[in-house]
Amino acid sequence: MNAREEILSRLKPTVPGPAAIGADALLIAPERPFVDATALEEGFVAKLSLPSIAATHDRIDTLADLPAAILRYCIEQGLPPALYLPPDARLSGCDWSPFAVHEAAATEEPVVLAVARCGIAETGSLVFETAPDAPMLPNFVALHHIVLLEADRIVAHLEEATLPGPQPRAHYWVTGVSGTTDIEGTYVRGAHGPRFLHVILVRAALPRR
Amino acid sequence: MSDFGDRVDLALADPILKIAVERTAGTAEAKRALAVDAFPDFEDARDRAAAIKDHVIAHLGAYLEEFEANAIAAGAQVHWARTSDEACKIVIDICKAAGARTVARSKSMLGEEIGLPHALAEAGIERVETDLAEHIIQLADERPSHIIWPAMHKTREQVSLLFKARHRSPHQEETIAAMAESARRELRTQMLGADVGISGANFLIADTGAVCTVTNEGNAELSLVPPRVHIVTAGIEKIVPSMPHAVHLLRMLARSATGAALTQYTTFYTGPRRPGDRDGPEQMHIVLVDNGRTTMREEGLAEMLRCIRCGACMNHCVVFRQIGGHAYGGTYPGPMGAVLTPVLDGLPKSRELPNACTLNGKCQEVCPVRIPLPTLLRGWREKSWREGLEPKTMRAGLGVWAWFARRPALYRLASGSALRAMRVLGRGWIRRLPLAGGWTDHRDMPAPEARSFMAQYKSGRRR
Ligand code: SF4
Repeated sequence: MNAREEILSRLKPTVPGPAAIGADALLIAPERPFVDATALEEGFVAKLSLPSIAATHDRIDTLADLPAAILRYCIEQGLPPALYLPPDARLSGCDWSPFAVHEAAATEEPVVLAVARCGIAETGSLVFETAPDAPMLPNFVALHHIVLLEADRIVAHLEEATLPGPQPRAHYWVTGVSGTTDIEGTYVRGAHGPRFLHVILVRAALPRR
Repeated sequence: MSDFGDRVDLALADPILKIAVERTAGTAEAKRALAVDAFPDFEDARDRAAAIKDHVIAHLGAYLEEFEANAIAAGAQVHWARTSDEACKIVIDICKAAGARTVARSKSMLGEEIGLPHALAEAGIERVETDLAEHIIQLADERPSHIIWPAMHKTREQVSLLFKARHRSPHQEETIAAMAESARRELRTQMLGADVGISGANFLIADTGAVCTVTNEGNAELSLVPPRVHIVTAGIEKIVPSMPHAVHLLRMLARSATGAALTQYTTFYTGPRRPGDRDGPEQMHIVLVDNGRTTMREEGLAEMLRCIRCGACMNHCVVFRQIGGHAYGGTYPGPMGAVLTPVLDGLPKSRELPNACTLNGKCQEVCPVRIPLPTLLRGWREKSWREGLEPKTMRAGLGVWAWFARRPALYRLASGSALRAMRVLGRGWIRRLPLAGGWTDHRDMPAPEARSFMAQYKSGRRR
């Protein structure tokens, strides 16, 4: 017997009946933090401000306001106006002329923009998926991670952020900045990944991808 | 004296170790308590978490086949390993076929369990540990002393010396932030330049074929996205039926481990790079590792397979907090380690671990999946007894008592916690309370004083 057959031969079910029915029953009314469904945006923003997440945020009306909002952030933080932009066609209508735009992320990238698919009010998380126009690595080599999020794409709980059916190559939830407590349990911001997270909420819906 | 006894005595004599362990475990305990208080119905949530794991363990074969089919459909390659040697050989063969000279590793206790660091060294493959704590212990050439904070036993002063000796441009300032920054500088290019990325899995999602990792540092993503090959080594018990099941366990894991609502980076990887993708590995391999798990399921330790490796049991263990993780001598320390090590290393070598437990029940109280750790530990004691592995002193009925009595600090903790246990658990338990091992089998225990003599004496002196 090969390893697969031998392991499986020893793992016959120990209770009768199909697994699926039992699995569904385990998901009825899961215990989870309360989220006010009538105030998702407020709830989400409140999470961003928690010391454990320590993200900043800004609000804009339309996508056209995005470059100015990023420039504002760069000036506040004393950063030169250089920016990694993902190859997302929705961003190409903006005027990026104030910035030195990077199309390929370097080993150290001071400011990186990403577009989140949704936000999660329960935890203040941002949800991303990989795609040809949404590479993953830039979001981790960034020092300042700037995330564009449509304000009406905030869901209440983690479960609602998952995708049904076949999955993208990577689906990831970002909750705050990179941190570590590996030396004496003391919290340090910016372990290997971003040290700053800035969320820009846009009121108008983005064009379809 | 035994190896274990020697290690415990060394640990107890090391004042720095106690400070280091206390700093991290104490913080973890406090943060968990806050997170649990803020959660509605944490007790019900623990029941559900245990039920999810029990369901999976009962149908483990079916879920593994479902996971395998979905992972393959997404383009991953799935391998099966009965033993740690088989698992290491599979990993090394993949590395060699890829012509790998360096691997970036994202912390995985399973990797430690199967001896992957050693296997990579033997194969002449350079290993870059990317988790900050794993990096520290790699530099120190030590083993992890905790499953969440592998470098818990190190003080900041010790880390500073290590980094100054080994980093290319080490920190100037003696702050923890500056030390973390030094590691960031040192590791960034090494992670991005590795040929292979190796991770464990916190969860395997059966109905999608996805592999979930969680990190606070973001080192998993930085280690697993750039290399050409991503290898996952995962215990077969890591399966969950679907994403919503994983979500429930993620809520429990983060709160129990660090007191957070969710770990900073939670990523689900499904197969290798897709057409048009600008990053991601060309190959994804998943090695499903048994290494004693089917035997645990068959031989009365199925409950231990619920473990989600949160570390709460050790953070709350009076013995662990005194002796740290290395004294246990196995891959996994603390209460869960005392249950697992006899499976992995054999009972004759590790029979003292279940004895070095006060059975105060703290671990079971905090375990997010309600593993009855004290009961499982007593099971090992009984087995050791039946198989005649206990030495004469133990068989004479005073062994456990004698073991603790030779170590006054532990004895005070043990007798204090035994009193608490007796009051809580009542007579039925007193008769079998194995702090006094076989001794209570033969005698009636006197009704316990509210506090032991030593506790009264010490607090009296303080007043
Ligand atoms: S035994 Fe329970 S408390 Fe200990 S690590 Fe496992 S899940 Fe956590």
